[in-house]
Amino acid sequence: MGKYVIKRITLAFVTTFIILSITFILIKLLPFERPIGDDRAQTTYFDRQYNLGYVYRLDLPTDKYGELLYKSPSNKGKTSYYYMVPVMTQYVNWLKNIVTEWDWGDSKTYQPNVKATVIIMKRIGYSIRLNILSLISVPIGIMLGIWAALKKNTATDHIISTLVMVFISIPKFVLIIFLLQIFSYGLGWFPSTWPTDTAPLAERIRGYVIPVFSLSFGSVCGYCRFVRAELCDVLESDYLLLARTKGLTRRQAINRHALKNAMVPVFPVIVSEFIGILGGSMILEQLYGIPGIGKLFVLAMNYKDYDILFVDMAIFTTISLLAGVLVDLSYGFIDPRIRMGAKK
Amino acid sequence: MADKNNFDFLANDFELVQSDGAIKDKKLDTKPTTFFRDALKRFRKNKSSVVAAVILTILILMAIFVPIISPYDIESVRTEEKFLAPKLFDAGFGFWDGTRSYEHILYDPVNEVPAVSEKYSIAALKQSLVSINVDPDITYIDSYNQYGFGGVLVLATDAKVNNKDVFLSSKTVEFTDKGAYTIDIEFDNEENFGEGKLGEYRVYLKTGEGEDDKIMIRDFSNDYSPISFDISSAMKENRLKNVSASIVFDVKSSTSSIQYVLIKSIKLGCGERAKNADVLAEVSFDNPTEMVGITDLQSNEYWSCSGRKGLHNSEVRYCDYVLDTYMLVYGNADAIEYSASELNEWIKKGWCTYDYKVGPESFVKLSNECPIDVVRDQKVLTVTKKLSSITGSGWNYHKLGYESMPRYLMGTDASGVDVFKRAFAGLRTSLVLGVIVFAVCFVIGLIWGSISGYFGGNIDLFMERITDILGGVPWIVVITLCILHLGNNFFTFCFALCLTDWISTASTTRHQFYRFKGREYVLASRTLGASDARLIFKHILPNSLGTVITSSVLMIPSVIMAEATLAYLNLGLKGVHSFGVLMSNNQQYMGVYSNLVIFPATIMGLMVIMFNLFGNGLRDAMNPTLKGSE
Repeated sequence: MGKYVIKRITLAFVTTFIILSITFILIKLLPFERPIGDDRAQTTYFDRQYNLGYVYRLDLPTDKYGELLYKSPSNKGKTSYYYMVPVMTQYVNWLKNIVTEWDWGDSKTYQPNVKATVIIMKRIGYSIRLNILSLISVPIGIMLGIWAALKKNTATDHIISTLVMVFISIPKFVLIIFLLQIFSYGLGWFPSTWPTDTAPLAERIRGYVIPVFSLSFGSVCGYCRFVRAELCDVLESDYLLLARTKGLTRRQAINRHALKNAMVPVFPVIVSEFIGILGGSMILEQLYGIPGIGKLFVLAMNYKDYDILFVDMAIFTTISLLAGVLVDLSYGFIDPRIRMGAKK
Repeated sequence: MADKNNFDFLANDFELVQSDGAIKDKKLDTKPTTFFRDALKRFRKNKSSVVAAVILTILILMAIFVPIISPYDIESVRTEEKFLAPKLFDAGFGFWDGTRSYEHILYDPVNEVPAVSEKYSIAALKQSLVSINVDPDITYIDSYNQYGFGGVLVLATDAKVNNKDVFLSSKTVEFTDKGAYTIDIEFDNEENFGEGKLGEYRVYLKTGEGEDDKIMIRDFSNDYSPISFDISSAMKENRLKNVSASIVFDVKSSTSSIQYVLIKSIKLGCGERAKNADVLAEVSFDNPTEMVGITDLQSNEYWSCSGRKGLHNSEVRYCDYVLDTYMLVYGNADAIEYSASELNEWIKKGWCTYDYKVGPESFVKLSNECPIDVVRDQKVLTVTKKLSSITGSGWNYHKLGYESMPRYLMGTDASGVDVFKRAFAGLRTSLVLGVIVFAVCFVIGLIWGSISGYFGGNIDLFMERITDILGGVPWIVVITLCILHLGNNFFTFCFALCLTDWISTASTTRHQFYRFKGREYVLASRTLGASDARLIFKHILPNSLGTVITSSVLMIPSVIMAEATLAYLNLGLKGVHSFGVLMSNNQQYMGVYSNLVIFPATIMGLMVIMFNLFGNGLRDAMNPTLKGSE
């Protein structure tokens, strides 16, 4: 088992590393965007880029390094000229910065000269809080799934299954639109945009309702469908028949045998959902104006602040890969017969 | 109903096929059923999937034909026609009839319409009102409103400006000895209104700049009883013949708080012989609302004020009404000016006749296509004596270039464009995108998955690592990078979506190949010397094709969703009509004009649900292991 875990984690790490490297190089290959701000802010930015190893700083202009990026105003008779470092050298420097100082660069246009990590840390709290709250979908989804499975092929089951099918199919933004239309604009129960941090507590709590709903609706349906399928499978198995034959009531048989076994494949899905949902809230954050990291992605795009964009992308990539690994590993822990990705 | 299992057979129901001899080793005449025909049969039994397929077909056909058939222009901006309500039925039907209802809107009692006339003409408003329900209760407001009535005038000192009396002074009025002038003033004495309290005041006639040039009407006091003052007798007392004076109210300021005086009305009266009755009437007011409105709106003020002047308890009414938005925009347009060249063109086309020498009465409408019904006026150039323009009334939609009243099923958006046509034009783009991505990914994924699955071993391991890495990047990241590098256009979208989507097809194909490549029939064929290509294309692929197609077909709705999602992240498809861009642009109007978002969202939701239902049915039909089971 230990060997398997190490292998999976190493593999995921290598994959993450390669993806981030490719993304970094592709981002750095984009046309250079000038930072905003006055000369002082720009000089600060370029000096910091020089320290990070992404630009050259020269005292005299030259044609050796291509286009001149920036010419600082003369300070005590000294003018600096900044040129782009070749992308692969930047890449090596970038690795060095991250390994030695955990330095992911600065914002250029969105919040000039603020560290990317600072910006991310300020925003990631909103996203995490929202996603933890939307874990409410787990018990609801499992309950609905069990209910549907126990009432298989009755009206209840059909209604639940149909609703699950509908809600699983409709795109998230359509769901958000309908929630907004009905509960904010129509009934006026909840605010139509994210309340600011200075809003009264009651308002802020009400502000969570629509985002949590729209995040958890999909996963409620996902769990419900999954649990129903698993439980239906187990209910028809021989050992449950045996349990009934030896005298257990239906309730006892279901509680002691069926549910436990049906939950085995459900658990890993919960783990992945917990992490994976972080990445899924991008459109919600944009539509509802939540200042999380998903909204940051859009902002960074609009500002053409590629360093921030890159760090944000890195988070989403790492999260999605991590979720995959965790699912595989938890399968292995819960049911040792399953070894995802191991030799067939 | 008869029991299905009980049949009555009669001998002549049956007929021998042939009685010549025994048949040995002869091919069956009946057609053998194929896998796909069998699948179709199973599919047809699944009612919900069939319904989904029908709805899906309708939606796809609409996406193809609506942009071709619909006559409305969706390329240019038509600001006049913006935000029309969705209309399917005739106005007055109750819903979906092009009307929009408004609640609690100020009522204009003079014209008997809702007070939104700054945007539209009164005639057009009246014409397009479907129903109006005026609130019977009067609402009292404390601010100026041109549709308000009555109330009291508030004259207040500002406590912050100390030791400075506030005065309200009228325009100078000429009083002569010929008229019998009187002044009647009414006050209100409501306490504790807002902040501040009732203050001391005085009223006088100001005849000059000096301290002595005052004819006191009431000196500083807290007396708010009505004043009835005879100016003429006061003039006689002071032995004045002709006086030009202004009426001044003075409110004594206080350091402690705001002081105010409430004036209900001021009436200046005069005898029959006075010449300046109209000036007096202008200065008098019994409706403070109007008085505040006039002095606030016009430069030659009848009343000027040095302090704060406000209104209290002005009466307004609110109303709920239903408005036919189509009549408002396309309805009867009065007094539209048409140039002579336009008119000549219509005459040439035989739509009408007109003789400008006779005048407007000579207008005869010959065809319904003629944009005007009645000519009201004409303008003739003075020098050349030629017609320059006519003014007429008719349907405004003619003027806007329509042959009949337009009918927009989903209303129009902020640029006055038909949402229905734009939605389906966008859906067509999305579908084309989906089908191209599906086709490309299907081919690439099939080849990649076949090689990876069939050969296995190190080739498989290597190929799997590549898909691992490509599949590990979130699709949003891939598309963002592609757009940044290649620009935002249709082909970038195709490329970017293909880049991520073929992986799922490849992995399904690979699984299928793993499943079938060890089967006995493959082994048998291999023993007989079949080549790899033959094994792949003749034996394994046909068996796995059903599952691969089914799983890949769901790529189409996912591409449609991806396109819309990107639009919401400000990365929308540019250069062509896009469903996502339509929705994300209209998102901002959602609170007011919900139809702009709800209709497209419904189409999108319906499309995706139907695709999934259809896909599920297809999967059940294609997967033979489910054969026989419900």
